Amino acid sequence: MRQASHLRGAAILGLWAGALMLYLSTVGIVLAFAERNTVTGVLTLGRVMLAVPPLAVGYVAARRIHAVGGPGSRLIGGTLAGAVGGGLLAIGLIIASAVDIREILVRVSSGLIDFVGFGQGAAIGAFLNIAFGAVLGLTGAALHAAPPRFRRPIVAGALGVVVMSMLEPFLRPRLQEFELGFLSRLLYESRGLSIASALVVFGIVAGAVVAWRPTRATVRRRLGAAGPEAQSTVRWASILVLILLLLSLPQLAGPLLSQVLVLVGLYVLLGLGLNIVVGYAGLLDLGYVAFYAVGSYLTALLTSPTSSLGWALPFWVALPIVVVGAAATGLFIGAPVLRLRGDYLAIVTLGFGEIARILFLSDALKPWFGGTQGILSVAPIFGVSAVDVPLLGWRLTGPTLTYYPLLLFCIVAAFVASRLKYSRTGRAWNAMREDEDVAEATGISTVNYKLLAFALGASVGCLGGAVFSTHLQSVFPGSFNILVSITVLAIVILGGMGSIPGVVVGALALIGLPELLREFAEFKLLVYGAVLVIMMLLRPEGLIPDYVRRRELHDEGTDPIAGTGAVGLPAGGGGAS
Amino acid sequence: MTDGRAQTAEPQPTAEVTGERMLLQARGVTKRFEGLVANREIDFDVPLHKIVSIIGPNGAGKTTFFNQLTGIYPPSAGTITFADVDIVGLAPHQVAELGVARTYQNIRLFQNMTVVANVLVGRHVRMRGQWYQAILGSAGTRSEERTALERARELLELCGLRRSVEHQLAKNLPYGDQRRLEVARALASEPKLVLLDEPTAGMNPGETRQMTDFIGRLRRDLQLTILLIEHDMKVVMGVSERITVLDYGEKIAEGTPAEIRANPRVIEAYLGKQAHTA
Repeated sequence: MRQASHLRGAAILGLWAGALMLYLSTVGIVLAFAERNTVTGVLTLGRVMLAVPPLAVGYVAARRIHAVGGPGSRLIGGTLAGAVGGGLLAIGLIIASAVDIREILVRVSSGLIDFVGFGQGAAIGAFLNIAFGAVLGLTGAALHAAPPRFRRPIVAGALGVVVMSMLEPFLRPRLQEFELGFLSRLLYESRGLSIASALVVFGIVAGAVVAWRPTRATVRRRLGAAGPEAQSTVRWASILVLILLLLSLPQLAGPLLSQVLVLVGLYVLLGLGLNIVVGYAGLLDLGYVAFYAVGSYLTALLTSPTSSLGWALPFWVALPIVVVGAAATGLFIGAPVLRLRGDYLAIVTLGFGEIARILFLSDALKPWFGGTQGILSVAPIFGVSAVDVPLLGWRLTGPTLTYYPLLLFCIVAAFVASRLKYSRTGRAWNAMREDEDVAEATGISTVNYKLLAFALGASVGCLGGAVFSTHLQSVFPGSFNILVSITVLAIVILGGMGSIPGVVVGALALIGLPELLREFAEFKLLVYGAVLVIMMLLRPEGLIPDYVRRRELHDEGTDPIAGTGAVGLPAGGGGAS
Repeated sequence: MTDGRAQTAEPQPTAEVTGERMLLQARGVTKRFEGLVANREIDFDVPLHKIVSIIGPNGAGKTTFFNQLTGIYPPSAGTITFADVDIVGLAPHQVAELGVARTYQNIRLFQNMTVVANVLVGRHVRMRGQWYQAILGSAGTRSEERTALERARELLELCGLRRSVEHQLAKNLPYGDQRRLEVARALASEPKLVLLDEPTAGMNPGETRQMTDFIGRLRRDLQLTILLIEHDMKVVMGVSERITVLDYGEKIAEGTPAEIRANPRVIEAYLGKQAHTA
């Protein structure tokens, strides 16, 4: 009886996986990645995408059964879940090859049918899908059954292989640049990893994960024994290494990846600013793009010789004026919405964001902002378009040059955000986020603190805009659509509201990753939406929750059991606000 | 408004005669919500260093009255002075700054903040650090933070919360500890007057006794003035020196616990609501 209910649960999970696979196939994501080799001749990224759902449900099914059933029923449940998933895809395959459904689902091409059916036709393809689904489900269940010391290296190794193959277009030219062409020939074979190198990468990553825990424990023990002086030496040394790494990153990454880094940096900056407004103060601002636009346009207006002002100030002279102007805009937008809460605030700020864009676009203000033509010849950030670094022989230009001031701004913004967070101001914001009425009754002037949050958030956001316009050396109203607001909000939510490292991780995941996977561009919004929904369901506190770090900062030997308890509970309230 | 002010002067002599100094005085406080009169012409005094209670059946207008004392909304008519300052028209945070702190009937902690951060927020009005000082890390702000943290820990201890919970999130505390934390947060602002809104709601008899003892101790040890709201008569009889009874928005009785117990109108309000016509 109980066995039957387990199996039913597993089958339902399998249907979810099948639905996901069908969805990924019919919207075209799978086929878009079908050309991308992960392991040449064996595995493409499209295949990896179809493999993940059955693998995942196999794992989840095993975990659900784990509480009540033995190891045998876990494996059976996982296999069933995977097979059902594969089965659903197989049914889709048979239908698609029997009837032409391209009228409705335009992406279901013969190429897709071929790909999903392993090029073997409908009948054999369907069978293969069920079989592979079952095997993958079994693998997932086996992974769950395996002790963590086996599971972790296997998962990490597999991820390592996928990531290494994704980096191919960037890594290959870089390796050639540094006279390491032989390495790239060893690693890659026709745009993917060769079988041998995939095995090597898997081995290295898995080995590193195996070695990581005992090594870390040893290092911690040694450090703990070494006394405070050695500890601070180690800390400063690691900070120094990190700084050197950050400084030389554009040189290592090359112009292509540097462009990605600049984009990520811009969104880190925007994320840090929005994090103050949404994460700290709990004011859901959907019009954050307004501050980005104000920063860009003010910079352009002040530094471009062809702008209506024609002052042509140097960037660094204009910057303080831009920041003050953006802060004033923050107050200007903040003041009318002081009494609005939650959804109402979101709607009104959404409107403000659009108003900003339309104002910059409008004919009425064309003499100032140039309408659709925007403003051209914005001053480069150091007044020149290329800088030669003495001694190192680096020639910085374009993204590799923009990277450095951007890095500086990001560090300053992160520093400011972290200082504010653990201060009277930060606590007042948090209190306001948690319960505005009680915060007010506790003596916090919610009016002042809301305005402060808007002004500071705007100041940080405008830095991003300033760098953006000077990087492109022009501004156009088209760059400031609602999508920017949504993306920045998604970054903050994905990383964890109120969490500073969370913003960096969120920007890397939502900006960096799609840049690495160019095929994604078309499905970007789809993926954002899915990511947000999944995060809200599974981990509303974000990837790097705020209070985990807080615990680490204040680690004074509080009992670890209580710690894990707190971490396990999702911050539902924070997520909803 | 001017009428109300004139009235405030009136009871002053009686207060001087009895030798009591009044911390809070309300005169003719009336609150109307679109035709509904929630409070009608209430005169109410809280003497310094005393425990005063407001009781009354559910819906008697106790919380409405409380909310006017804390500035959440202004009275439709009448005056309220706290420590000789007219507080009508002040925002809640300004009233808090003057030295009024409160707890809530249904606990309202800052759920996703740590225990110690909740207490530190309570101390907000006694701290001066501005945002730019926090960014610059000025020495004054840092020492202020240190003092605040020490003080918060003392308060947690005073309220009976273990040191080990200070970095837990407030929402993860058991019910009784959440009540204690609310009191600690209120005390952190170094208030002159503490308003406790049904502090024993949801507690068993043992916890209730503990809480009433604690309230008595607060007054004795910290020289506080306490205003208590309760609808349970038994709770307030033990701790209060003076009780005011509200019913249908009006003050129907006032006096010592013994007087209140014997008052026929109070008995009527509590036992025979049908017979009572306001």
